[in-house]
Amino acid sequence: MAFWTLYRREAGSYFVSPIAYVVFFATALGVGAYFNFIFNYFNDYGIRQLTVLQASVNTFFFWLTLMVQIPVLTMRSFSEEFKLGTIEMLLTAPVREWEVVLAKFFGAFSFFITLWIPLFFNLLLLTAFSNPHVPLLWRPTLNTALLIVLVGAFYISIGIFTSVLTKNQIIAAILSFALIFLSFSMSFVSYLKVTAQTQNLLSYFSAIEQMDTYSKGIFDSRPVVFYLSGTVFLLLLTQRFLEARRLKS
Amino acid sequence: MIDVQNLSKSYSGFRAVQNLNFKVDRGEIVGFLGPNGAGKSTTMKILSGYLPPTDGQVKVAGFDVVSESLEVRRRIGYMPENVPLYNDMRVNEFLRFRAKLKQVPGSRIKERLEAVKQLCALQDVDRKIIGTLSKGYRQRVALADALVHDPDLLILDEPTIGLDPHQIRAVRELIKDLGKKHTILLSTHILSEVEMTCNRVLIINRGRIEASDTPANLTKLVRGGGSLRVEVKADAKDAAAKLSAVADVEDVEVLLEKDWLQLRVFAKPGIDVRDGVYAVIKREGWDLRELARERATLEEAFVELTQD
Ligand SMILES: Nc1ncnc2c1ncn2[C@@H]1O[C@H](COP(=O)(O)OP(=O)(O)O)[C@@H](O)[C@H]1O
Ligand SMILES: [Mg+2]
Repeated sequence: MAFWTLYRREAGSYFVSPIAYVVFFATALGVGAYFNFIFNYFNDYGIRQLTVLQASVNTFFFWLTLMVQIPVLTMRSFSEEFKLGTIEMLLTAPVREWEVVLAKFFGAFSFFITLWIPLFFNLLLLTAFSNPHVPLLWRPTLNTALLIVLVGAFYISIGIFTSVLTKNQIIAAILSFALIFLSFSMSFVSYLKVTAQTQNLLSYFSAIEQMDTYSKGIFDSRPVVFYLSGTVFLLLLTQRFLEARRLKS
Repeated sequence: MIDVQNLSKSYSGFRAVQNLNFKVDRGEIVGFLGPNGAGKSTTMKILSGYLPPTDGQVKVAGFDVVSESLEVRRRIGYMPENVPLYNDMRVNEFLRFRAKLKQVPGSRIKERLEAVKQLCALQDVDRKIIGTLSKGYRQRVALADALVHDPDLLILDEPTIGLDPHQIRAVRELIKDLGKKHTILLSTHILSEVEMTCNRVLIINRGRIEASDTPANLTKLVRGGGSLRVEVKADAKDAAAKLSAVADVEDVEVLLEKDWLQLRVFAKPGIDVRDGVYAVIKREGWDLRELARERATLEEAFVELTQD
């Protein structure tokens, strides 16, 4: 099937791209340094109420990292093909548009997962070498990982979608950052003085609250539904945009 | 192989191609000739299933390019204008990727890759990164890509543009060779190219087809297909008048009026007027230093057909 061929090419292109490496090392370094800082801080002040993982992912720094890295990863996906004209070569091969869209999505998604492995690697190191021993809390760790994956998938689908709109990578990146930020900023609404009902409804979309819940090890199915359906919707939209070129007159 | 009926294409209101009708049979090498902006690339993009027609019906190998696009794309090898390629891939890697994408069976990929690399003389650069290749090699990589799944029909948009004369010659030879096995539609704005490689020419101008014939027949169309070039010592007006009076001469054109007078004598189609012209020269006693037959070139046919 063309999907696998395309996927291998897309995923492979991240692993040979200098930009991707810059993003990888910037993320690993930032996350690692922050992790280390929190660990020492907790040690020095004897903080026991929070885990290091909780402190790592429930910060604006964490969200900003996500919101910046994803547009940088996805901006090339379609824009560059339009700019170089390779889209013409790609789509005159016997491939279906949805295969191309899925390949681009999963290519970026695979690299995204690679980006966040260092965070969990830090946790493993902590468990392995800490003295006195710090246990690995499976539930919070897996839940946190799940939410990062879900939010990542959704933001990547935003990035893929904006890059099908323009051949200018920078515009694609700015546009996806804006949309991702818009989606994220629903989290802030809960800080406003609104009725409890509205707050309840909006907290359903609030990434900050979701992470708070998940990193405590509590599973909530609503974000799963929200992010998965959002991702599917945006990918379908992307496919429609790509197909329009061939079918519309 | 190609059947185009009443094809029109508009880009947001601008009519790039209007009411095109033509057929290409299996085994033909057809040249699509026209000045820049004539609509060649647009037509080829429609044929390859990249752009939808605004109006009309286009069939390739019996399949409709819109509703059966996938079937069409399986059967064509398309080389776009300006050869867009993935610059970060190596030649081998790229061709393998394209072969898989075009559903070449896994067991045949190796053999096909060797075959196209040999055909396009790419063996020396097959481990290089495409982004570092020269224009000539990029062109050949794109051609190898078009050929890798051994398609019935090749659509080549300006295959020799941007190449140096040696490379142009090599690509033309290659195209002629390929024509023995494949049906080819190639576009160009260079006349000598179609004359050398194609067995039929479609002349397109401003989105319309102006003529469709063999290169030889097209040149015949122009002023009967031949003229005489005469260089004598005589008065221009006098000579023109006297030569025009010769039987079957249609027109006399003065080319150069200096010490020697250069004239071009156009005869009616298919008639040799050399005897009559020489008789006049002898009678008048003009000094003669050239009397030669000239074949009309495709270039003249082209200019004649595409001028306003
Ligand atoms: N994407 C496009 N949008 C608007 N106009 C276009 C587009 N592509 C081509 N054209 C116009 O259509 C006409 C035909 O172009 P093209 O098919 O590229 O000609 P050719 O290949 O014969 O040089 C030109 O006038 C060109 O400016
Ligand atoms: Mg063109």
